Amino acid sequence: MARRYDSRTTIFSPEGRLYQVEYAMEAISHAGTALGILADDGIVLAAEKKVTSKLLEQSASAEKVYVLNDTMACAVAGITADANTLITYARQQAQQYLYTYGEEIPAELLVQRMCDLKQGYTQYGGLRPFGVSFLYAGWDSHFGFQLYHSDPSGNYSGWKATCIGANSSNAQSILKQDYKETGMTLANAKSLAVKVLAKTMDSTTLGSDKLEFATVSKGKDGKIAFHLFSAEEIDQLLKDENVAQFKEEES
Amino acid sequence: MSIMQYNGGCLVGMKGKNCVAIASDRRFGVQALGLSTNFQRMFSVSNRLYYGLAGLGTDVQTLSEKFRMSVNMYKLKEERDIAPTTFASLVSSTLYERRFGPYFSEPVIVGLEKDDTPFICATDLIGCINFAKDFVVTGTSSEQLYGMCEALWEPDLEPEDLFETISQAMLNAVDRDALSGWGAVVHVITPTQVITRTLKGRMD
Repeated sequence: MARRYDSRTTIFSPEGRLYQVEYAMEAISHAGTALGILADDGIVLAAEKKVTSKLLEQSASAEKVYVLNDTMACAVAGITADANTLITYARQQAQQYLYTYGEEIPAELLVQRMCDLKQGYTQYGGLRPFGVSFLYAGWDSHFGFQLYHSDPSGNYSGWKATCIGANSSNAQSILKQDYKETGMTLANAKSLAVKVLAKTMDSTTLGSDKLEFATVSKGKDGKIAFHLFSAEEIDQLLKDENVAQFKEEES
Repeated sequence: MSIMQYNGGCLVGMKGKNCVAIASDRRFGVQALGLSTNFQRMFSVSNRLYYGLAGLGTDVQTLSEKFRMSVNMYKLKEERDIAPTTFASLVSSTLYERRFGPYFSEPVIVGLEKDDTPFICATDLIGCINFAKDFVVTGTSSEQLYGMCEALWEPDLEPEDLFETISQAMLNAVDRDALSGWGAVVHVITPTQVITRTLKGRMD
């Protein structure tokens, strides 16, 4: 019954649904998990890499986490090629704002620009929507550190902690239980991120080759710093968490 | 009344031994009326690449903002700093895009290449690059700067000596030009650091 209404993005179904947008979200639910956690002094972005093979050139660019400008970064879940196009657009929008106003674009404004573009693909042109969801981690002087999530429909919302991609509902419920409203430091956020990923990832072993981990925080000089963890740093982080887990089992 | 002499100002860039230096004056005025003694004409692309823009003040500011935008996009996409020669090509093509309605500004670019080789160049207002081996000058006192540099410059000057040379060239050249001067700033770039100094000169 749905088939007659799902090939054109610009058409509603009789039940009032946009099937192409829903199919795009379905595509994302098969992609590697990405989660973001907002802390008082920064934001953690962590993601599971789906494409891993010994033959893959690991040192080449990131697959899940990208820098957008000096104050924002994002994690993606979905069709990587679609993500690359959108990220280039986001970067251009951010630079255009900087050129026009002489200051860095506010976080929510960049999210809105992206969402307006994504929404356009659900209403005009007859082109399919982008099959990507984003988690945006950014800072601006108006609202400090912020975490946003946007989906193929062009809808977005601000979050304290959220998850997208495969097993995201599972991860979301763990985050709901364990996220502390007050006293959430970057250190706590990092260990919570590792804990949630460990519990929800498909693979049995957690390794630095399967994870991308980054933080957005304020450096000692007051400038916003984006730190993409190296393989060794991820291993160290996993060791710190795993060691804690072993200790609990022993006692 | 030439548009290139409306606001005034000048720049000089010099090559040294494993170092480069760039200096500018600080005057900004409207013809004979001087308005500012701290107008920024020099900008950094990275800690190894600096450039300066002489000519019409508004174009100096707009071009520096345009270059900041382009270099930011370059850094994000290529995940590396832009090389001096590449930046020079970027400047050249940006200026030539306006071939028949140009920006009234003539840049000077100095920096160190990946292997620490010194690099300097200048372009005209429509992007013709002059890759110099010794020094580059631009601005309302360019003639005076040519004379000073030709007399004072010698190859393979150490950073401290290069600083003295470029400073004397700048200070004495601008004293012979009504539209330049009112202070000067010098950046000396070496593989390890950038030293910035403000010169004490005649404020007339």
